[in-house]
Parts: sequence; C-alpha cells; structure tokens
Amino acid sequence: MNLFDSNLYLGRPTRGAYAPAATAVELLAEMDRQGIGRALAWHVAQRDVSPVTGNAMLSEAIAGQPRLYGCWTILPPQTREVFRKGEDFFAGMGRNRIIGLRAFPGQHNFLLNRQVFGKWLDVIAARRIPLLLSLENGVTWPMVYQLLEACPTLTCVLCDIGIWGVDRYTWPLLENYPNVCLETSLVALEDGGMEATVAQYGAERLLFGSAFPARYPESAILQLRHAEISDEDRHKIASTNLERLIAQVALEAEK
Amino acid sequence: MSYATLKEAFYAEGAVTDCPVYDLHGHMGAYYGISFPRPDAAGMVHAMDRAGVKLLVFCHHGTLMTPDVGNAANIEAVRRYPKRLRAYCGINPNYPDVIARDIAEYDQYPDVYVGVKMLADYHGYALTDARYAPAWELADRNELLVLIHTWGGSLYDGPAIVRQAAERYPHARILMGHSCHGEWDKAIALVKEFPNLYFELCAVLDERGVLERFVGETGSERILFGTDLPWFNHHYYIGSVLGAQISDEDRHNILHRNAERLLAKYEL
Ligand SMILES: [Zn+2]
Repeated sequence: MNLFDSNLYLGRPTRGAYAPAATAVELLAEMDRQGIGRALAWHVAQRDVSPVTGNAMLSEAIAGQPRLYGCWTILPPQTREVFRKGEDFFAGMGRNRIIGLRAFPGQHNFLLNRQVFGKWLDVIAARRIPLLLSLENGVTWPMVYQLLEACPTLTCVLCDIGIWGVDRYTWPLLENYPNVCLETSLVALEDGGMEATVAQYGAERLLFGSAFPARYPESAILQLRHAEISDEDRHKIASTNLERLIAQVALEAEK
Repeated sequence: MSYATLKEAFYAEGAVTDCPVYDLHGHMGAYYGISFPRPDAAGMVHAMDRAGVKLLVFCHHGTLMTPDVGNAANIEAVRRYPKRLRAYCGINPNYPDVIARDIAEYDQYPDVYVGVKMLADYHGYALTDARYAPAWELADRNELLVLIHTWGGSLYDGPAIVRQAAERYPHARILMGHSCHGEWDKAIALVKEFPNLYFELCAVLDERGVLERFVGETGSERILFGTDLPWFNHHYYIGSVLGAQISDEDRHNILHRNAERLLAKYEL
C-alpha cells in the first residue's frame, strides 16, 4: 500500500511528545519504518512558538527532501505577520514546496472567518489550496460551519476529528461542501466509520493520516489495510486523493 | 503462513490464529451522544470476526443508562452468541432495589455473566458509596471481574477512589477501564501496590507512549485489551499495540494470555 500521509508534524512540542521527530531526517526514518512514502507535514513550532518562526523552520527542514511537502500556518492578514506587504505569498509557497495551509485560531487568538480573512478566503479557494484544520488544535465545529458558509468552495481538510465518532458533525459538511475532506487518523478509530462514510459520500472524501507523533501510525494503517472497502477505494484514501488535491493547487505569481 | 512478527501477521491477515484477541471492555446498542454504524450484536460479532476477536465481555448501553432496559439486554445478546459474548452485570447505584434484585439473581446466569460493571462518572456516585456495596461484596466473595470506568481527576472513580475500593475488596479482580485516563503515574502506582488491580487499555491507546510506560513499570501481565465496542475499531487499537515499543511476548500477554488466565474458571 502506497501511503501519502496528510497529517503529521515534525519538531518537538512545548509540552513534550513520545519519541517525536525533531528533524526531517528523523521524520523520514520514521516514515520508512512505517512504509509511508510521502507526507504533507507541518512543524509544531508553527503552533507552539509562532507561525512566522515555524513556517521558516518547516521550509528549511523540507528543503531538498522530495518526499516531504509542507503546510504553512496563517494569521489574520491585517497584522501582516504571515501575509507580508510587498511579498508574493503564493509564489513563496511554490518555491518552498508548501502546498497546504493550516490555522490554529484558538492558540493564536483570532477568528477564522470572513470579517478577518476577507478576499484571502476567495483567493485561497480559487487557487485550490487545501486548508487543514485540526479539531484537536484550536478549531471548533461551529467555527468550521461558519467558515464554510462564508466560503463554500474552500478546499478544507478536517484533521483529528475527535475521539468520539462525529458523523453528526462531519456528514452534513460532506453533504453540503464538495471540497471538504476528512483526514483518517480518527475516522479510523470509529468502528465501521470509514466504511459508512465511503458508502455515503465516496472514498474521494477521505485522506490517509497518521497523526504522528501523537498517535501510533500502525493504528490508522492496520485499519485501512483491512477496511471493508474496495481495493480501488483503499488506494484512493492511501494516496491518490491527496495527489489529486496537490495537482489542483495553483501557486503561480500574482499578476 | 507464518510471519516473523505479530505486526507482519496482522498487517497481512487482519486476524491471526495464534494470537486470538480478548476484548474485555465492550458495550452494545445505541447511545445518545454518537451515531454508531453497527451497534447491534450481529454488527459487533462481524467486527470481532474481522480482527480475530475470540470473545467480547460487554455491558449494554441500555442496561447502563436505564433500569427500564436493564440486564435483560445483556442476557438476550449473550444467549444469542454464546460462543462469542459474555456480559458484565450492569450496576446503577441510582436504583438500589434493581441492584438487590440483579445480585440475588446473578447465580441464575452462569452462562452469561463473568462479573459486574460500574460507571460511576455517569451514575453520579463514587465507587465506594454504600449503594454499590452488595455488588462489590458479591464480586469479592466470588473473585469476579469488576470492570470500573476510571478517569483521572474524577471524584467518582479517580485514582483515590480506586485505591479505597481495591483495599476494601481484595478478592475482586478489578479492571481499571481507561486506566485512570490521564493520571497515568497514579494508575501505575495502584497496579504496583494492589495485586487485584489491572490496567485496561480502552481510550489509552490513542495516545502514543502510555502503553510503553505501563509495560516498562509493571511488565505486561496486568494489562488487558478493550475497545468500548461498538465505539472503537479493533484494528485501530490492535495497531496501537503493534506500534508500541514492547515485545511480541508482551503483545501476546495483552491481547489474549492475561484474559485467558482471568477467565480460566469459566466455560467459554
Ligand atoms: Zn466503556
């Protein structure tokens, strides 16, 4: 099974973690141990130190590592910390193999909504850049619902969706917003959850994720290997759905 | 086929004959806070088959949430799947008369029960409250399994309360459901101090590194596998046991040998 991991981080968090990967080399060694070919990574310093510091640390870590793609973390454009005046943000993403964005509104003290992000939301949606939101990292369900109501075409990947099965939250989103996907590290935990979601909304809406180093990658991998879905669907979830999302991302320079 | 490691075997086969799995923490049926894809007995037995789970010991959600369902739901399901299911007699301290009746009738169901289940955080009385005493005394007299929900910081079933129960009922085989979740060091200290206490891994395994601490501090012979089925997927939690930095001998203990030992006196 060719695995493309949509949800793991490198770096060592403030509050500690069991055997994290401090560097890209350590992360790649762990991926080799797990049979994970490629990954869309973030750096925990983006959350725990500052998005500005963490974004730079991530770019530096994945430079020259073709198996690793990155997510930068965004902040409100008004403070010009991440979206800087006179800099082409998207071209910068392209130069650094950054093909996704993350936001931690709880930790970073802002609201992830139309008032704050304005036209940036439409630009991110039009460029088909995936926004990855972790329900364990400062994002709540009402926030997700409001954001998608404000920008229904956003490519949005909901990560770490919760320990308890949350089909009552996720299924209405899958029904209403065609560019919403779920990362599987906790879909896999709900007994029968993956099978039911695939039956209802199709395998295209799920992206494999390990949640390393918070969780054991073997958990989501063993579940996916033996999920009662077709091998074609398994293959989509394991890698090709994320490949498809990346192929759609447009990062050409602003005119 | 034979495989070099349990991880290879489970990755390839999904269910492994020489590593049957005993799930000692299950439920059954619908529950208000969640939509379950397959919460009935047939759906659960299907899930068990997929991962080579030989036996599930459970207590029905309906039993735990209202005496209007009561233990009848447990009895009915076990008698439908006698080779695959055993039940904990559900104890709700809000209904002492129902406890008295269920305890009096316990011996009528040797084919159904292997112990009792207490869910103190949800029922609102500490495990040591006098209302539970008839059930604890039954378990202590007969060396029954007692599956208790435990959670770090809880005044109803946190480590301090578990300690009092373990002292008071030394012959009960007390399974700490969720292993005092979050207060891992206190759970470890309790297992070291009381030979009648066991870790249970449901909701522990989704946090990487805790199982390694349990095994490192106490060995692997007092650790039992559980999933809260129909909540959590067997392959997910088995994957966690496979991913932990422990030996395959430890994994055999956790997935089946420890449970086989605890259940040896029952005809399964
Ligand atoms: Zn439970």
